[in-house]
Order: sequence, then structure tokens, then C-alpha cells
Amino acid sequence: MSTQAATVRGGAAPKIVGFVCDWAVATADLVDGAGRLLAYPSVVLIRIPCSGFIRPGWLEDALKAGADGVFVVGCPYGDCLNREGNYLMRERIDQLQRRLARRKVPAERLQMLAHGLHDREAFLADVAAMVERLQALGAGAAAGGPARRPAAARAPAEEGGA
Amino acid sequence: MYRKALTALQRFTLRLDVAINRVYPSDWNPLYYTGGLANLFLFILVLSGIFIFFYYVPSLTGAHPSVAYLTEQVPYGGLIRGIHRYAADAFIVAALLHLFRNWFTDRYLFSRDSPWISGMFLLIFGGFVGATGYILVWDERALAVLGLFDDMLRAIPAVGDWLASLLLGGRGLSEGTLPRILLLHVGPASLLYVLLWWHYVRLRHPKVWPPATWVLVSLGLVTLLAAVIPAVSGAPAQPGTRPEAMPLDVFFLLPFWLAGLLPPGLVVALVAVTLGAGFVIPYLGREAPQEMGVRHAGVAQVIDGNCTGCELCYYDCPYNAIVMVPSPHPGLSRAAASRKLLAVVIDSRCVECGICIGACPFEALELPSLLEADVTRRVQEAVAVAEAVRA
Ligand code: HEM
Ligand code: SF4
Ligand code: SF4
Repeated sequence: MSTQAATVRGGAAPKIVGFVCDWAVATADLVDGAGRLLAYPSVVLIRIPCSGFIRPGWLEDALKAGADGVFVVGCPYGDCLNREGNYLMRERIDQLQRRLARRKVPAERLQMLAHGLHDREAFLADVAAMVERLQALGAGAAAGGPARRPAAARAPAEEGGA
Repeated sequence: MYRKALTALQRFTLRLDVAINRVYPSDWNPLYYTGGLANLFLFILVLSGIFIFFYYVPSLTGAHPSVAYLTEQVPYGGLIRGIHRYAADAFIVAALLHLFRNWFTDRYLFSRDSPWISGMFLLIFGGFVGATGYILVWDERALAVLGLFDDMLRAIPAVGDWLASLLLGGRGLSEGTLPRILLLHVGPASLLYVLLWWHYVRLRHPKVWPPATWVLVSLGLVTLLAAVIPAVSGAPAQPGTRPEAMPLDVFFLLPFWLAGLLPPGLVVALVAVTLGAGFVIPYLGREAPQEMGVRHAGVAQVIDGNCTGCELCYYDCPYNAIVMVPSPHPGLSRAAASRKLLAVVIDSRCVECGICIGACPFEALELPSLLEADVTRRVQEAVAVAEAVRA
């Protein structure tokens, strides 16, 4: 899968902005001073008080500003510190995915993740999967913005989604 | 010490979750539903209790035979009695797990003390209901428990004697004793529902039932236990005697077991200190919010001019901290000009989570130390940083 993605992409890693709830997966030793994930430096994290704090508009903003993808990390479903933040956020992201789909922005660019404080392996695995999927999808997320390459993206995207 | 221990316990709790979540989808993790499980067992208790109530005779000579009749003669009577007993044990176990879980995962701090305090009352009354239940059986153990209860009450300084007469109806046994105990069993049990109202006041759609699978498993478990290990009475109580040993129910009778070993006054003191500690837990605080690495985001603020009264924040706030009031004046933005309602945050309930900010489509809510402008700036910076990596 990764070799395939690499051939499609030919180099550049996708720019991803990730919002991480303070209570969800601990990332202090996974990032550098600027919030870049050490394992995937093109993935930049922003810590927030609760996944439910995110306004869907901010996710759109990130895509408009040139990010290839965005994700939000909350606590495992059923265990939100604030009881319901992650469920609410999952619904909002579902809605946003549907809305952006009308503008031909693939759902892969918006992800809701759920990982507890000590779930870092699972978290990194999800990030890796997202990086691969976006790599396969190609650059140019910008909602209603610059060029997309749907033709090149389709086949690998389906595979990566599994 | 306390902090270190709590941090370790929190790690343990969450690691346990990681393991459990490998087995079930995470929203089925039974430990996420300990409150709901306690509520379920309480409900089973009420139903089976009503059934038993129809057969129970609260008199010194009638009580033991009436329980025997229920167990042996009434169809399914023994089973239902067993369910009542095991559901009670399960209730206490679930409530304690719930207590520890909320404790270890910081769900009781700052503005969240109200469910904790009401929870402590639930626990105290729950335990009391259990103990009086054992007296109602009116076997040897019942008599022993009653005696120890009397001793413990009287060991309380100043008000002890008065309290014992009030609760147990004067010194010695009389025909008034068991009706009182019955009242002390059923009354506080009903009171639990009043306390639950308090418990849920600040929680929006509390998860009062576990997922259906766990409801069935719990029902199956208590029924199975009741069938395999039937609940039985000991020999009838012989007033004036005290049995040497009694079978112990760890879940309810622990203090009474202690009272058999230690002076009753000491047991009362121990229980009082334990419960007192329970009540101050939310105020000991682990650390100030800043030190905890918990963001002190500030109570959510409504931007009056932008609020359209759409109620979305009111539906999403998990702590019922937002109320909608009739708008005293129109808003400033176009969308808000003809509003009927205005959102108001009840400061004392707000836990500063920011969920309402995510809910509001009109930019009418802000967290004081993490403004929308801060977030959008950080998003721009993040994209730039990611860009730099790529270049
Ligand atoms: C004895 C019967 C009890 C029942 C039936 C019960 C039930 C519940 C339920 C259904 C919830 C809502 C959970 C959610 O929706 O996330 C809850 C929350 C809570 N309970 Fe209990 N509870 C009981 C006892 C206790 C005790 C003994 C304590 C601790 C002293 C406690 C502390 C809490 C706290 C702090 C919350 C709030 C959790 C949060 O903010 O997410 N409860 N309880
Ligand atoms: S920040 Fe908003 S959603 Fe969270 S408790 Fe306060 S008012 Fe409710
Ligand atoms: S969501 Fe926003 S606009 Fe709607 S009632 Fe709440 S504060 Fe007002």
C-alpha cells in the first residue's frame, strides 16, 4: 500500500492539521515545539479543551488555508471527559463531510478520531493511515479551492479507506 | 502522596479501558456505564422489592415465617427473593465502581461537585437500605445486626441515645420495631430516587441505562445467582440471645462485622471519617487547574449582540449550564435582530469545556482564554508550519 501511495504521490507529504482534546491521547512527547508530530512532521497538532469545542467552520478554514486534511481527536466514545463532546463532534463532522461532499471534497479529508490518554499507538496508526490516504488522494484540498485530481485519486483512496 | 496515587490510579483505569476496548466497541465498555448499571440494579430492586413487600409481615413472630412462606410456597418467590438480594450486592458494587471511576478520572472537580455530593448521599442511603434489609429477614443474623446497630447508634456522642430511640423505637424489642425497620428500608430506598433527581440535575441526558446487551447480561446474572445459590434465612431470631458467628455480606455488613470486633464507638468514628473524607474529596482538589495541566479556559461567555436564540448551545451543553431566557432586547447582528430568546450561561455549572462554542453557528459564544481569534490564528500558523516542512 505504501509503495503504491508513494508512486501516486511522488514525494510531498500531505499537510494535516489535527485538533487534539486535552484529555484525549497524550501527545507531549510526540511533538516538537511547533506542534509538529515527530513521526509525521507535516502533521501539526493544536491542543483544545474538548473535541466538542471545535466549530466545524474552523475545520473548513484549515482546508481553505491550504491543509490537505484535518482531524479532531476526542476521548473513546462513551468516555468523553465532558460526557458528550466526542459524540457531538462526530455528528458535526459527519454533517460537514456531507456538506463538503457536494463541493467534491472527499470525506477522507475530514476525520474524527477517538483515542484515550494512553492510546498513542492506535492514534499514530490512525494518523499514518490518514497520511497514506491523503497521499493517495493528492494535494489541493481547499474547499472550493485549487485543483483536485479525482481521477488519480479514486482507486487507491478506496483501498486506503479500508 | 495523594496526587501521585491518583495519577497512578488514573493511568491504571485508562489502561484498563484500552484493554477492554480491544474486546468490545468502546461505547459498550461496561465501565463506561457504571452509573447506568447502578440505576438498572436499583430498578430491579424496586420491582422485586414490591413483590416481596406483598408477602412480608412486619411482626416479631410473623416476619421470619412470612419470609419462609415467600421463599418456599410462593411460585418463583425464592427466585425473586434471590434476585432482590443479589441485585442489592450488584447495586453496591456498581455504585462503588462508579465512585472510583469518577474519582480516578477527575470527573468530580471544580464545577462538577454536585453529582459527587449527591452520589455520596446515594451511597450512604444505599448502604443503609441494605443493612435494614438484612434486619427484616428476622433471623439470628438480623438480631445481631440490630443489636450492633443499636450499640453503634448509642455510641454516637450526645445525640446517640436519642437517635437510637427515634430510629429503633425505644430500648429493647417491641412490636413497633419491625414496622420501623420496614419504614427505614422502604423510605430511604424511595429517597434514592429523590437523590437521583439531584444527581442528574446538572447532567444533560444522563446515561441512565447501559446498552441493551448489558441490561440482559445483568438480569441474567442476578437471576442465575438467585437460582444457583438461593437466598436463605438463618434460624429464627431468638430475642435475648446473640449468635456467636454470622454469615457476612461484605457489601453491606462490613461495618457490623467490624462492630463485632472493635468497640462500637470506634466503628462509628471510622465510618464517619470515611464518609467525611468522601464528602471533601471534590474540595481537596488535586491541584489548581493550571498545575494539573488542565486548561483553565474560563466560563463560556455569550456575546449578546450575536446570539439569535437558536437554542443549539442549550441542547448541546452536557451540564445543563445554558438556559434560554426571553430576550430583553434585540440582538445586533442581522440574524439576531428578531430573536425571541437569549442564551445565558449559569457560571456555577459551567465546566469550561467549550462544547457550546462548537455548537453555536452564529459566533455568539467564546471561551475567554481561547477566543475564536486565537484558534483561527493557530490554524493559520499550523498550516504554515506544515507547509514549511514540505518546502
Ligand atoms: C448509587 C446510585 C448511583 C446511581 C444510580 C448513579 C447514576 C449516575 C448516572 C446515570 C450518571 C450519569 C453518567 C453519564 O451520563 O455520563 C452519574 C453521574 C455521576 N455520578 Fe453517579 N450514580 C450513583 C452513585 C454515585 C456515587 C456514589 C458517586 C460518587 C460519590 C457518584 C458520582 C457521580 C459523578 C461525579 C457523576 C458525574 C460524571 C460526569 O460529570 O461525567 N454517583 N451517576
Ligand atoms: S463551556 Fe459551554 S458547553 Fe461547556 S459547560 Fe460551559 S456552558 Fe456548557
Ligand atoms: S447557539 Fe449561539 S446563537 Fe444559538 S442560542 Fe446559543 S449562543 Fe445564541
